[in-house]
Order: sequence, then structure tokens, then C-alpha cells
Amino acid sequence: MPKIHLERLVKRYGAVEVLHGIELEMADNEFTVLVGPSGCGKSTTLRMIAGLESVSEGEIWVDGAPVSHLEPKARDLAMVFQDYALYPHMNVAQNISFALRLQRRPKAEIEAKVREVAEMVGLTEFLHRKPGALSGGQRQRVAMARALAKDSGIFLFDEPLSNLDAKLRGQMRAELALMSQRVEKNMIYVTHDQIEAMTLADRIVVMHGGYIQQQGTPEDLFKRPVNKFVAGFLGSPPMNFLDGEIQQRGDGIFVTGAGFDLRLDGPVAAAAASHGAREVTLGVRPSDLRQDEEAPAERALALDVKVSEYIGAQSVLLCECGGAKVMVEMNSDSRIPLGQSLHFAVNPTGVHLFDRQSETAIH
Amino acid sequence: MDQSYERQNPAFYALIAVLVFMSVGPVLLMFVNSFKLDVDIIGGTSGLLFLPTIQNYETALCDVLWYEPDHMDFCSLKFGGAFINSLIIALISTALTLVIGCMAAYALVRFRFMGRDTVSLTTLMVRMVPPAVLLVPVFGLWNNEFCLDKNGLLGGAIRDAFGGRGDVCLAGTHTGIILVYVAMNLPFVIWILQSFIVQVPRSLEEAARVDGAGPFQVFFKVVLPLIKPGLAAAAIFTFRIAWNEYLLASALSDRNTKTVPILIVNNMSEFNVEWGVIMATGMLLAIPPIIFTLFASRQIITGMTAGAVKG
Repeated sequence: MPKIHLERLVKRYGAVEVLHGIELEMADNEFTVLVGPSGCGKSTTLRMIAGLESVSEGEIWVDGAPVSHLEPKARDLAMVFQDYALYPHMNVAQNISFALRLQRRPKAEIEAKVREVAEMVGLTEFLHRKPGALSGGQRQRVAMARALAKDSGIFLFDEPLSNLDAKLRGQMRAELALMSQRVEKNMIYVTHDQIEAMTLADRIVVMHGGYIQQQGTPEDLFKRPVNKFVAGFLGSPPMNFLDGEIQQRGDGIFVTGAGFDLRLDGPVAAAAASHGAREVTLGVRPSDLRQDEEAPAERALALDVKVSEYIGAQSVLLCECGGAKVMVEMNSDSRIPLGQSLHFAVNPTGVHLFDRQSETAIH
Repeated sequence: MDQSYERQNPAFYALIAVLVFMSVGPVLLMFVNSFKLDVDIIGGTSGLLFLPTIQNYETALCDVLWYEPDHMDFCSLKFGGAFINSLIIALISTALTLVIGCMAAYALVRFRFMGRDTVSLTTLMVRMVPPAVLLVPVFGLWNNEFCLDKNGLLGGAIRDAFGGRGDVCLAGTHTGIILVYVAMNLPFVIWILQSFIVQVPRSLEEAARVDGAGPFQVFFKVVLPLIKPGLAAAAIFTFRIAWNEYLLASALSDRNTKTVPILIVNNMSEFNVEWGVIMATGMLLAIPPIIFTLFASRQIITGMTAGAVKG
């Protein structure tokens, strides 16, 4: 039985509708990540689940009971805020135990709980400090501990790592992943960072413009995006897009555009052949391109290599193909001369086609 | 001391000296004169050469002293009573102003309701009305309008308990003066506290709500502790005004409810101005606000919200 069910959730601010009928089901103990660019409605969705925003239309079901009319305190959830939102006049222990003290739990139980979660997030020696005397990462841990101490079934995260510096973010991300394995809770996590989404999620929900674009496992979304937006949003460096058109020549199906003429085969070809419109966008991930001068022209792209960005083990080549920008990810060891036109073989299973008008995936 | 001070312009020190003299001078003068006999004060045999006496303080405090001072045969000044009146009026009006003020300020900042901006603006505009303008209508209302019939149930009970004639009116009661002071100070307190409440991050209140706090718990356990510096500043301000106010208190108090500033002026008559007693009472008058300010200003710690949210 799904633990949380969002049923045609609509949010309006005055006449402006920002969420258009969000329909989402989350299974028990699932780590769901809502991801999307800023302004896509992911935070609003989370805040509606939390009860901090009113629901304009639709219903939120938790374990089969409607909750959208309930106050946050009646919803059995804990939340970690983007800016931590620690109570500055309380020390760490008081911050963590605030919810328990409001529930008037016995003192001994509260103390035990505080010690337990403080140990879990590594804050034991800071229990008597005020938040003002803590570093960013420690504050983040306090916020996490406060949510953990509450023992509620649902855990909400509103971009919890976005205020940390890059190194700390990676570290906290790993700790979060570890924690989500240990703590059996229903977690909903909002982020604009697709790496966080990919690494943490059991299920990713990509949102854009107040609509859910696609939901599924990280692998699902990465390999089979339903439209150009999802394809371009997930993955780093992002997918390359080249405008072209489908042509049937002889026995083969080709996608042809400025600077390339690619033969399609397998299921892609079948899908392209049965598709009505001829105008398409070809999508190839930077990791599905491999430099190979011997590759036949119908299996490769001819790219003008402009810049090479050295990242470490990997390099990203910024190239041009008939005016469009194309990125190629490759091993740093192979030397690539800049300013030349080279051939890059396309991985046949990594070819995506999108209808140019509707931007939905053909394959 | 390895701390080196930058050499300042001498004019800078001169300016500071003038400012210090201007603020401390009158207090010093009052202090010195409170130990002089009226003869010395008026005689102008000036300077610091005089025989100090506590006679003025004895006169001022004659109703609370345990002995009868030699130099006087009748105690006309009721300093003790006036002092208690002042304390009651100043403390209660300060407390009331803060309680009402912080709630009003919170509502104005956080809640959306019709006419919020108008209310916010008009509260400050009320502040622009001079107390003297308020005096005449309030005097009339307190004496003639807001009265309980002496034959009525409540009015009769009060008359039986406290005695007196006529209807039970606000004029001449502590309540009457306290109400005026609260009304007078509220706009400024609301205005000051608004600026403090705006600084409390909204996500703190949301966190508290998610943690299971009701609206009042959010207010009392999260918002109020964070605006303590603002409350302290507002308390100092209201207490000082209520303690020093003369005009309204002189019109609205009676023999039993008059405050210390009015008592001081009673030392002036058409025949004599008792400067020494005035100075002594003035010194005594200054003590409570100083204590109150020392106590309240300890609450003013800047950076109370530091560490709440990522800065």
C-alpha cells in the first residue's frame, strides 16, 4: 500500500496556477527525490505535503487518510529546511529535543533520544553549544538530528545541502545515503542538483513548469527519458542535442542534419520509421561518443574540437557540429589535438530521438 | 598595554568634553544643590563651598522616615505614596504596553488581513498627536463619560469598598492614567517591535510548526525569546515616559494617585520655590529609571538570531 499519495494536487497564488494536477504515489520506506530547475514547483509540493502551504485543489493521502486540511503538527512528519532553521536561543540538545518537549515526553526518554541521535550524526560533544557557535556542516547535522529525534514516519528535506560548500556537500550526501539505509522512513527530498537526485533516490520525480515530467528509478530516467527536458536535465555533462530529419534511403533509416548523417538501426530505426513527423532532435550523451577515425561516416559524427576541459581522470571536449555545440566525455590519457575536425563513433544504444515540435521521445 | 591609540584631533576631544558637560552638568548641579540650603542656592555664594546638609532629603522623605526631622513641624509632602503611585503606574503600563504591543506587532508583520498596511501606518500617525491635544478630550471622557453609576451593581460595590461620592469614573484612578499611557506608548512600541519581528526568519516558525508547536507556542517559545532585545528597548522607552510624564498625570490624577513629578511641582507656590527639596526629590526620582535601565539593557544582546539560518 502506498504510504503517500498526491492526488491531482493544484496550487494557485491568486489567479496564477503554479502546480497543475500533481499525481504521485510513494511506496513505504521509499526515498523519493523531487528534482527540477528553480521555480518548477518542487518546493511548493513539499511544503504542501508538510502543511506549510494550503492545497488549492486535490488531496494528499497518507496511509489512506486525507491530510490536506490538517495542521503540520498533526501530520506525523519531520522536515529539514534549506537554511537549517535552528532555534538560535536554544543549545543543540534543546534544539534536538524541542519536538519531544512539546509532546511532554518523560525527561529520561528525551535525554536518551537526544543522546542517541546526537551519536548518530556525530554531535555528542557539541550538545551544549548554541547554533551560532557551530560551523555550517555542524548546523546541518543539528537540523538532521532534530528531524530524526521526532521519530515520525515521513521525512521531508528541502534542499538541505544547497548551502554547504562543494566538498562538504559531497560528504553530507554520502552520510545521507548511509542514513537513509539505516532509518526506515518515507523520505521526500527536494533538490535542484541532479547529482544529489541520482545518487540518493530510489525514485526520481523530475518536475518542470508545475508538471511532473517523468518519474522512475534513476537508471530508468537516465536511459529512457520521456522527453527532451528530462534527457537534458539528468546527466552531467548534459546530453547533446542536434536538429535533424528522418530520411529513408534504400534499406536504411537515417537521421540527417547539418554536419551528420547517421544510420539508425534496431528499435530506434523501427520507432523512427513509424513516427509520423520527420523533423526530430537527435540526442546523444557525451559519454556515448568515442573518438575513432576508422568509424564509418554513417556511424559517427564529425566534430570540430574547440576546447578541452581537463577535470582529472576525465576530460570534456567542447566541439561544434554544423553550428551546434556538442560535448564529448573521454579519458584524459588520450591526446586530442585542438582545432581539428575528428570523427567520433556513436554508441548505437545511446541514440535518442525526440519529436522537434512536442519534444517528446520517439525512442 | 601594548594597545596604541591613534592620535585624535584636539577638537574632537573638545567636542566630547562639551557633550559630556552638557549631559552630566545638570545632573551634577542637581546633585550638589540637593545638599544645599535654599539660602545657599539662591544666595549665589556659589561654587562647591558650602556646608552639606541632608535636610532637603529629610523634607522630601518626611512621610517615610522613622523619625521626625528637627527642622520641620508638619509633613506636607507624601513622597512615599507618590513613589508607589509612580511605580504602579509605570510598571503596569509598561507591562501592558509590551504584552499588547508584541502581539499587535506580530499580527501586523505575519498575518495577512484586510487593511493591514493602513493599520500599520495609522498606528505610527497616532504617535504624531501631541499629548497636550489628547488632554482635553481625555479629561472630559474620564470625568463624565466612562463612569459606572454609583447606584449600579459594580459601581455601588466599588463605592462601598473604597468610599467617596459621585459616580465611579476613570478620572483620578490609577487605571485611568495607565490606560492613557498605554495608548500613548503603544504606537511606538508596535513600530519598534515590528522591525525586530521582521528579522525573525520565517523558516524558524515553520520549523516550530512542523515540530508540533501550535500558534501560541510558536509565538511564546520561538518568536518572543528572539525579540527580547527589542522588548528590552521598548520597555526602557515606555517605562521612562510613564515615569516622567507630567502633563496628563497632573490633570488625570487626584490627591491619592498623584505621581512623583507632580509632587515636585507642588513645592512651587506663589510665595516660595523650595529649590533644595525640588532637587532632592529630583535625585530620588532618577533612581528607579536608572535601576530599571540597567536591568533591562542587560537583555539587549545584539546578534540574537545569529546561527539560526545560513547567513
